Amino acid sequence: MDTMDTTTVTPDAKPGHENTNALHTVEAPPARWHWLSGPFERPGVRRATIVLLAVFALAFPFITGDQANIDAAGNATAYACLALGLNIVVGFCGLLDLGYAAFFAIGAYSFGILTSWQITPEWSGFWSPFAALGLVQKVVQNGHALVHFTVSFWIMLPLSGVIAAFFGVLFGAPTLRLRGDYLAIVTLGFGEIVPIVARNWSSLTNGAAGLNGIASPTIFSYRFGINATPYYYVGIGLVAFLIFASTRLRDSRIGRAWMAIRDDEIAASAMGINLTRFKLLAFGIGAGFAGMSGTFYVAKLQTATPDMFGFPVSVMILVMVVLGGLGSVWGVVLGAVLLQLLQSWFLGDLTQWVNAFGTLIHSGYLSSIDLTQASELLFGIILVIMMLYRREGLIPANRRQRALSFEQQHATVQMQKRASDITLSQIGGEGYRHEPGAVPMLEINDVTVRFGGLVALNKVNITVPAGGVVAVIGPNGSGKSTLFNTITGLTRAAEGSILFNGQEIIGLPPHEILRLGIARTFQNIRLFGTLTVAANIMVGQHARLKAGPISAILRSPKNLPEEKAARAWIVEIAQIFGNRLAPRLTQTVVGLSYANRRRVEISRALASKPRLLLLDEPTAGMNTSESLELAEQIKGLHALGLTILIIEHKLDVVTRIADKVIVLDHGDKLTEGLPDEVRRNEAVLEAYLGRGAAAHA
Amino acid sequence: MSPFDLLLQQIINGLSLGSMYALLALGFTIVYGIMELINFSHFNVFMIGSFVAMGVLSLFGLQGQSILMHGAPLVVALIVALVVTMVACGLLGVLIERVALRPLRGVQGPMAMITTIGVSYVLSNATMLALGANTKNFPNPIPPMTFHIGTAQITAFQIVIWVLSALLMGGLYMFVQRSKLGKAMRATAQDPDAALMMGVEVNRVIMTAFFLGSALAGAAGFIFGLYYNFTNFGIGFTAGLRAFTAAVLGGIGNIPGAMLGGILIGLIEAMAGQYVGAKWADVIIFSLLVLVLIARPAGLLGRLAPTKS
Repeated sequence: MDTMDTTTVTPDAKPGHENTNALHTVEAPPARWHWLSGPFERPGVRRATIVLLAVFALAFPFITGDQANIDAAGNATAYACLALGLNIVVGFCGLLDLGYAAFFAIGAYSFGILTSWQITPEWSGFWSPFAALGLVQKVVQNGHALVHFTVSFWIMLPLSGVIAAFFGVLFGAPTLRLRGDYLAIVTLGFGEIVPIVARNWSSLTNGAAGLNGIASPTIFSYRFGINATPYYYVGIGLVAFLIFASTRLRDSRIGRAWMAIRDDEIAASAMGINLTRFKLLAFGIGAGFAGMSGTFYVAKLQTATPDMFGFPVSVMILVMVVLGGLGSVWGVVLGAVLLQLLQSWFLGDLTQWVNAFGTLIHSGYLSSIDLTQASELLFGIILVIMMLYRREGLIPANRRQRALSFEQQHATVQMQKRASDITLSQIGGEGYRHEPGAVPMLEINDVTVRFGGLVALNKVNITVPAGGVVAVIGPNGSGKSTLFNTITGLTRAAEGSILFNGQEIIGLPPHEILRLGIARTFQNIRLFGTLTVAANIMVGQHARLKAGPISAILRSPKNLPEEKAARAWIVEIAQIFGNRLAPRLTQTVVGLSYANRRRVEISRALASKPRLLLLDEPTAGMNTSESLELAEQIKGLHALGLTILIIEHKLDVVTRIADKVIVLDHGDKLTEGLPDEVRRNEAVLEAYLGRGAAAHA
Repeated sequence: MSPFDLLLQQIINGLSLGSMYALLALGFTIVYGIMELINFSHFNVFMIGSFVAMGVLSLFGLQGQSILMHGAPLVVALIVALVVTMVACGLLGVLIERVALRPLRGVQGPMAMITTIGVSYVLSNATMLALGANTKNFPNPIPPMTFHIGTAQITAFQIVIWVLSALLMGGLYMFVQRSKLGKAMRATAQDPDAALMMGVEVNRVIMTAFFLGSALAGAAGFIFGLYYNFTNFGIGFTAGLRAFTAAVLGGIGNIPGAMLGGILIGLIEAMAGQYVGAKWADVIIFSLLVLVLIARPAGLLGRLAPTKS
């Protein structure tokens, strides 16, 4: 028997399959900048800085007094809005959108068309109610009664956001299920199509010449006209609102879902996140921000031409986001301001200096060079330099991690010694109890899975009774993980049925299956690498929380207690592992040991309040005492009423916790039975140790 | 021209354009096949190729639209220009990989793709600053011999394009299928880890992929100049995007697919120019790209890899 144990205890069974993907996406800022970033980690300093920035922004027109500067600053606010919107798509959700300027154009043309003389249909009674609302005017030209659109800027500002968001969803829907790099190219194509349409559909857009005669906004009968100051204040207000909305979204259920998708799509969907819906949401909200920016920008310029919205604009906004920091709300605003300074001030001055120098040394080239044309060259250089040397941007989204103290790192492990000490307020009780005679919790009937010619599972039948602990064992490649992937909807079975509490779940997407009450861990550990331990576990609750984007931005009375309870719940879950996870809740998972990562994954699965917990080699990479400790904790969870299906190689763990053991080999179910029966089964020994081995065992 | 001859003429034109897109698409597909990276710098390696070719031709005294050479000297000049352009572009591709992309190898997410956008911008804007933003005349050294099929005509230089593209594509295909390095490339494309463990020098494979892809882009740049008789710093974007569409259409990562896709895109562009209006050509091509990605993400000849979990 000992022989069998040693051959099957393989902690790092498949080193080549180690899933490290998400764990290196965004590095923490290097320590050498800590003298600068350190003070901002204190909430008081942060708040004071924001107040100072706000005061400066409001006082800026009085400080400079120069219309040209105020005008440039007004443009900067428009770009900051765009950068904030793109940051939601690229920074939060990880979708590279290279045609973002298209939504800017849609917002711009929506406003431009509805406030200019571009379209003037014949007047009819249909328009009377709109005239009464002030949306249109009846104008008589050469004896013809025509409609002149006069929709107010203040209506169009939110409305164009909605229109652009609609187009975002429309174009996103078919393309968002594609791989990320395909999405980049599709958005790039879309970003090309929109300006082409704007250029060629002259009756709607006045073609390449651009829309003219766009009415400037008014407020309390004060017309903005060409005075830059009121536009500047509208821009500042818009930026402030979008910063507020971005921050609220980031810190909500919505933001966590986006970042989970960014870090690991498969884990995100297995944790109950509807990938399509949340990608579309990011795409739509990002497009909405761009639409509002477009309306503001066009109102300010009072013209819109197709060239204002081409690929270079999309790249410029991307440069702002990359320079400031992907996913960093304040960073992208800084990026937008810096780029605007660069273009409107620095390059002009530099040109003068270089020209003067050229005249001095009689160099015709230097004395006539115009460096303002070099802004795109600078964009390119910025992108390359940032990617090579500072991927997290000027203001990184992830705050620096404070290391645990020496005492905390070396603290004696304290935990509930016995399984019965484990309690969880939201798991267990009546609903979780095994009812004799009821349908089995999970019933797998004749399930076959094929990958091309390979049969990974061959007519497998498994029954997991409610309240049971069933272990699946088998050599590598026997189909164990495929079984889990099939149950959780990641892999589609070719034949057979899987009933969960009597309901067919084959064909359901992973997030629906989690919602029904099946949660899992992964053999190769799929945590969200840039998120903290707490946020990782919070993502597990995604399906049990309700906050939508609007209630997340408003922090509605419904949302606040929900969020508070969710935070209390993760602290409670972390307690299962004593002081192993609790002091590390605010750390990103990158710094955790292998064993602690497994514990975070189990916690994340538990956070969804599952009925059935699927554990895929939970003790891999743990030493013997840690494995037995975890076995005890699993027993505790079982005692609360959870049903458990576990893949495990360590037979001492299996013997300790399982009521039933199922053996898979080459996709076939070899046998099932009590742990001791299975240990003695000759076919099992043969599968593990080869023909004839049974005689020596 | 009868409707049939008109169609025939557009097929001839489409095949010429398509050969160029196919050569350009091959560069995308080789690099994507091995690194799963959309290489936007490829757009402007193509553009640089047209300038290098123009420079070499002018060293032979070939400038402007007049026919200055005939026979063997012309053939030699063209071959030298082609070889120099391809080697220069190939080396540029290797340089880009070495300087800007190798440090990012293994970094997840869109980081490497963003870098290639940056490199692409640097190439086109540095060219603009160095050589000016105005459009340059590309020499037209091939004598205007034409052959007629009905009223449709084939020019000598279209035949040159076809033969040249066929030779290059055939050569690439043979290299990838027959040579040891080609086998290493195919192995790396299927499973980089396994290839590494079997002793394949992944760095060398990736550098080869960049060299070959960029050299073909240089050849495509040369053809662009011969076809349109102009070049400027901005030609890379539209042509590159169409060629990328071609690679996706054929099945990205698939070498015959890129060739097929390139020819199809060339035909579509020629037909759109004839029957719908040239200004809508890009709308049609990009709409097609979206449709292909939705209906058949693996492309016409590609096969979807099994998803790993």
